[in-house]
Amino acid sequence: MSTNVVDRRRVNGPARSVEPLYTSADTAESFVNGREDKRTLDQVRPIFMKTGPLSAQESELSLSATASAASGSAFYEQGKIRISCAVYGPRQGRKSNARMGSFDCDFRYAPFSCSWKRRSHIKAADEKEISLMLEHAIAPAIRVEAYPKACIDAFVTVIESDGRAATIAAAINCISAALADAGIEMYDSVAACSMGLRGSQWVADCTQSEEDVSSCSVLIAFMPSADEITYILQHGKSTPEQTDQAVQTCTNLCTRVYAVICRYLQSSLV
Amino acid sequence: MSQGDVANTGQVVFAIEAFKRIHPVEFQRRFLSQETRHNGRGFSQFRATHVTKGTISTAQGSSTVRIGNTTVVCGIKAEVSEPDVKAPNEGYLVTNVDLSPMCSAHFRPGAPGETAQVSSEHLHRLFKGNVVDPESLCIEAGQAVWVLSADIVFVKYDGNVLDAAVIALTAALEDLQLPKAVFDSETGVVSADRTMGQGLTLRKRLFPATFSLIDGVYLVADADDAEEQLATATVLVVLDDNGHLVNIWKRGAGNISRETISRCVDDAGVRKATLTKELQDNTQKS
Repeated sequence: MSTNVVDRRRVNGPARSVEPLYTSADTAESFVNGREDKRTLDQVRPIFMKTGPLSAQESELSLSATASAASGSAFYEQGKIRISCAVYGPRQGRKSNARMGSFDCDFRYAPFSCSWKRRSHIKAADEKEISLMLEHAIAPAIRVEAYPKACIDAFVTVIESDGRAATIAAAINCISAALADAGIEMYDSVAACSMGLRGSQWVADCTQSEEDVSSCSVLIAFMPSADEITYILQHGKSTPEQTDQAVQTCTNLCTRVYAVICRYLQSSLV
Repeated sequence: MSQGDVANTGQVVFAIEAFKRIHPVEFQRRFLSQETRHNGRGFSQFRATHVTKGTISTAQGSSTVRIGNTTVVCGIKAEVSEPDVKAPNEGYLVTNVDLSPMCSAHFRPGAPGETAQVSSEHLHRLFKGNVVDPESLCIEAGQAVWVLSADIVFVKYDGNVLDAAVIALTAALEDLQLPKAVFDSETGVVSADRTMGQGLTLRKRLFPATFSLIDGVYLVADADDAEEQLATATVLVVLDDNGHLVNIWKRGAGNISRETISRCVDDAGVRKATLTKELQDNTQKS
């Protein structure tokens, strides 16, 4: 598809390359009842995060942000998932008469970040789609009316992914932390969490191999203090009752993730 | 002290950050003329460098390298392709450097900028053939070869792209485990066994060292972003395991004397010793 285009600004390999056919199936389905990493069904993988600009030296002067440093940045880990995000802004927007600020998001997978074929450098449709999803999930939390004529840009790169829905949820959490680091005015931090349906059981925060065997996935972005959901995405087949249940459990899990983010942000202020 | 206070002497006194922004050259000169640097390092002192191998589980070979605040992740994906008709035994090594606005405000989103293009190309010339034997990537002559796609993603940028990229790629190549692949001549399919990994024998390892000339007289090792902005000339010296020269690349308009170049080569030898230690078994399988 995109491989026919020769990009002269990069070092190019052969026009077509494929993954070899792997003989040994490494996804042994030994986790029919439990989970492969011994988590309980409603347990989210351990989270690590770090916010902060390039240089640790911050002075009282508003001038201090060096030209090279972003307004805010965050590095986020959840199990094997690793995401890095930089936020720029509020800076001059493209529309000079806009009464509200705008929030733009640029989401990318690093070429080696997925367990299947290498990703092309050229932005794929799914990356564009996820960028939009992230914008829609985060934008309701930002006080855009406080930033007329301005725009806020978030650049997100996935360094390693493990489960598509879980990666998107992690990206939302990562951007939330970076926005807080940049000091953007928000109603609340957005926390996100995903679940997969295996048989009739909901499994929280699926890894890639768990996601491959689940029949339905739900992703929720939630503002716990405001008690408002900013984004829901459901794929696959589930009954309305099951979806209800998933929304319930997911919002509870989001509250727990939110607590982790808040605790981190508080400790980073000291 | 507030900004722009006029002291009794009649001199204008600035807060240090304001001074740094308004007069970057003069700011650096104040330090350099006192035989020191704004980051507290000596002229020939490199930043602390940390190498971790095997950090990305979705790649066949990977590494994370930190040089001070510059952080870079290199991941190698191994895929199969048909060889070039002119070289039926030779596999491919594809190296690309990614500098996105995520790592620094210097870079724009979209297609790779000048720095990224130049670094990718230079890296490719350094490693192809020199370090990786293309024939060791052959699965079946004329039919199937390995394509190693090495992507070097900068997570944080604070100067010295090429040193970071060369060290990261060297470490990732050392970490690389190629699955044992078999070519079926009847079906034309390459099957591979994940459990039977096999490392790649490298012809040599590369040890880079970058030096920058600031203000025409001060030669500093491993310049950070702020120093790089003011450098008039930059010298990259690459040595191999035996301490032999592999590459010298002097760029920038400033002129550099022969003595300075040989001092760079000597200092690169010292740097090589520390890097050798750092590159040894820092594997941390995630």
